[in-house]
Amino acid sequence: MQQTNQFQMEQQSGITLLHIQGDITAHSEPVILEAYKKVDEQETAQKILIQFEEDAYINSGGIAVLIQILAHTQKKNQAIGITGLSDHFKKIFNMVGISKFAGIYNTVEDAITAMS
Amino acid sequence: MPERKVKEKIRIVDERTVEVSLPNVDGYERIAMECSASFAKIGGLAKERIEDLKTAVSEACLNAVEHGNKGRPEARVVISMHLGDKDFRVFVKDEGNGIPHIPQAIDIRRKVERLEPPNGLGLFLIQQLVDRVDFNKTTNGGHVVNMVLKMENQPAPCPRDQDQTPTVIESTR
Repeated sequence: MQQTNQFQMEQQSGITLLHIQGDITAHSEPVILEAYKKVDEQETAQKILIQFEEDAYINSGGIAVLIQILAHTQKKNQAIGITGLSDHFKKIFNMVGISKFAGIYNTVEDAITAMS
Repeated sequence: MPERKVKEKIRIVDERTVEVSLPNVDGYERIAMECSASFAKIGGLAKERIEDLKTAVSEACLNAVEHGNKGRPEARVVISMHLGDKDFRVFVKDEGNGIPHIPQAIDIRRKVERLEPPNGLGLFLIQQLVDRVDFNKTTNGGHVVNMVLKMENQPAPCPRDQDQTPTVIESTR
């Protein structure tokens, strides 16, 4: 069963904010990689903030997709932040070690303040 | 009326045991997640632990679909949930041969540096999120993951004995 994701981009304070709608699973890979490609074309691509939906279902397949994004941002020296996670998924992202490579923020405002 | 073979998909075995039989399709794990969460809630499992349970059940089902049943459409994943006095147990059964290698840790840096594939996180998450997990072969040729979450704060579990059979992993959480 495949679900679909949608994404939207906007610029705020020199940061590209990428809203990802929908659950984050292995099926999200084409949409999320496409979204990153579009972000990477922006002038503000040096600072990227990904915003997930707080009630999104995220599984290990989705985290693996995110690791692929981190591989790109590490290689290109881009700063990346993540927001919109429930407390449970903040814990999961810490467990896996995502937080070593991406800032985890409670709100978009917190992220922009920290990343600006 | 034409004869129709009806397979039970959800079975209330008794007031403490529920069984769900899912098609071998990625996505149906969410039925097992929600079913186990509702049942554990009845038993009084704490809200935070219910989230742990949901992720652990999801990952065990995904492994069963992909690795245990190897995506075979005719195979099924059977989830049995048991509400005990002190714990909540979930058994996730598939028709495979088990897990050849159970990772004890993951190295996120190697994954981000593309020195190893980004996937393979499911078993690690299960081990981190439940109080105890066993991986056993079944007598009829399948494999079962048995996950236990304690209802209350209990003394820290014993460390894992790696030579023990069947494989038992005690979480350090």
